Amino acid sequence: MASTEIFFEHDRWGHNLAWSAALHVGVTVAIVAYAWIATGRHGSNWGEGGGGSAMGVSLVSNVPLPANPVQTQNVLATESKGLSKSQPQPIVEDKEAIPIAEKNAKKKPVPQPTATRRKPQPPPVEQASNVVPFGEGGPVSGPYSMFNIGGAKGGFGFTGGGGDFGARYAWYVRVVNQKVSENWLKYEIDPRIQNANRVYLTFDIERSGRPTNVQVEQSSGVPSLDQSAVRALQRIDSFGPLPPDYSGSRVSVEFWFDYKR
Amino acid sequence: MRLNFETRIFYWFFPLILVATASGQDWIKTGTGLGVEKVRIAVPDFKATNQDPRNTDLLKTFNDTLWNDLNNAGIFEMVSKSFYPLGQIGVPGDVKFESWSAPPPSAAMLVFGNLATAGNNATVQGWLYDVKNIASPQVLGKQYTDVATTQAVRVIAHKFADEIILRLGGGINGIAETQIYYVSARGGHKEIWAMDYDGANQHAVTALGTISLSPHVSPDGSRLAFSSFTGAGWEIRMFSFDLNRVVSFPRLGGTNLSPAWSPDGSKLAISSSRSGDPELYVVDQSGANLHRVTNSKGPDVSPAWNRKTGSQIAWVSGRTGLPQIYTMGSDGTNVQQYTDQGYAVSPSWSPNGQFLVFSWMRHYGPGAPGAQDIYIMDVVSKQWVQLTHDGGRNDFPAWAPDGRHIVFQSNRSGSLQIWEMLADGSNQKQVTTSGNNSEPDWSWK
Repeated sequence: MASTEIFFEHDRWGHNLAWSAALHVGVTVAIVAYAWIATGRHGSNWGEGGGGSAMGVSLVSNVPLPANPVQTQNVLATESKGLSKSQPQPIVEDKEAIPIAEKNAKKKPVPQPTATRRKPQPPPVEQASNVVPFGEGGPVSGPYSMFNIGGAKGGFGFTGGGGDFGARYAWYVRVVNQKVSENWLKYEIDPRIQNANRVYLTFDIERSGRPTNVQVEQSSGVPSLDQSAVRALQRIDSFGPLPPDYSGSRVSVEFWFDYKR
Repeated sequence: MRLNFETRIFYWFFPLILVATASGQDWIKTGTGLGVEKVRIAVPDFKATNQDPRNTDLLKTFNDTLWNDLNNAGIFEMVSKSFYPLGQIGVPGDVKFESWSAPPPSAAMLVFGNLATAGNNATVQGWLYDVKNIASPQVLGKQYTDVATTQAVRVIAHKFADEIILRLGGGINGIAETQIYYVSARGGHKEIWAMDYDGANQHAVTALGTISLSPHVSPDGSRLAFSSFTGAGWEIRMFSFDLNRVVSFPRLGGTNLSPAWSPDGSKLAISSSRSGDPELYVVDQSGANLHRVTNSKGPDVSPAWNRKTGSQIAWVSGRTGLPQIYTMGSDGTNVQQYTDQGYAVSPSWSPNGQFLVFSWMRHYGPGAPGAQDIYIMDVVSKQWVQLTHDGGRNDFPAWAPDGRHIVFQSNRSGSLQIWEMLADGSNQKQVTTSGNNSEPDWSWK
């Protein structure tokens, strides 16, 4: 049963194959015939520059196009032909010309500028407004130089070996700044406070670097701000040992905290 | 975090005044808002002072190590070497202050020095100069002598870097000589390994041939507590670096994990399931005086002491379902919950006691992205900041002793490795590469 079906299918397939082959042959013949007829009718007389089997190409510049009536703005009219810039006229000397003496034949020598010696001035260094220029050869001036504290006039006028800590060890002052700033947590301050007066703290730094004697010298009037400033100091175990070549036993620091939300 | 706080808090400018009292007492007058920017430091290569052929190798090791240590410290802005003026600096006489303090280097600090090899010894002289302070520039001057090997020279560079960081970092010791202990499976078994903080010098500590986990080094660095699988279960083991072997520690029964040292080194907090579900216990470092400090349904694991006070413990509790971070007094009183969502594990308390760092899947469950990242939380205000964002699973954060660095494990590179970063999440870098490495712990000094 199964085998007869297979044979039956075989027959039909062969039949179709014959049709298919015939159709293919027919189409191929038709194409060839059309190509032959078409080329025969039109010949080879299109697309050729003038004969030969290769296609001739005419250069566009050889085509006599009409001149563009609109002047382009690209090139300025100049006195020198073909150049976009006027060239100075070459001076042609007249060999027969007689020189006429000028009115003032004596020419004054052009005054030469005398070279003056100037010290090279260093270019002005711009200080960013929030940078403390520490350690540049002396205590730093600021808007608070009018303070009179501890008999030192203006804060800067002292002399003697005992008072130049900030100048000699600017790096240490910087560490103190950074360390206190890091440990001051603003969220401890009453969130309703927008602005407050400055709090002044004083403390000592012992040789080991430990802060001691933390006191509020001048309160801001806001207890939580005063408290946060004191706590900032209390959080610090050490600023690092004082510089080994520093002779004093401790350094006193006045530190202020400004708060603005 | 610290840096973040600063930038948020201090935007005001105040000058600095200095006065002296009539008695000669030194006064510094200064205010907030000044110290937020990093110190610009220039570190030209050290100079060889003689013609010994070994100098080239030693100098390369020294210069690379010193540069990396200072670069990793987190408090410096390294001036790029392409800005440096020409000419090597070996001794203070070579320093031209203006060429360093003016642009383009604009350096505030200059590190320079020289190296000489003679016989078996290498001698290094190093200086730290405040180049803007021409009158008295020297902050530090040091001389070191050791055998002329790259290993010894590396140690010299670490020591010198730590001295610089101590001076300019506000009295906090540098971490250049610290160690990291971790679990590595590269030998076939999970053993405890150790390495320098920069990933150099990796070596195995234990060779027990079983599974060892959660290494924690004692504050004095003499002992290492860890948890190891024995025939009966997970027990606390103790390794002595003095004796270079595992010393006895009582077996507690049940599953005992994650021993955490109290900051004075006298006690351990552990999690033990000897009575049923895992609970926290505090025990003397000898193994005596075991007492239980948590008592609630659900697991209590991963203790971490407050490293500043030693009077509080942070830990992970599953009492409300998923694990969350809690703190309590070391006697078990005053329990406070710190996280209330997601899946939070592996707390570690900062050396200054101010921050907790932990691993958190903030959104956990079906449909959640499931990223596990490191977070830092201010203990008082409970404000938190996400430190890792780069995908993968990040876990087991641990603090460096300077409170500026955090080590953690991450699989973001494809395999589980040890990573380090600054405590504000910046400067993340991979320190291990071979095998699988996990559960890092940073030495206390």
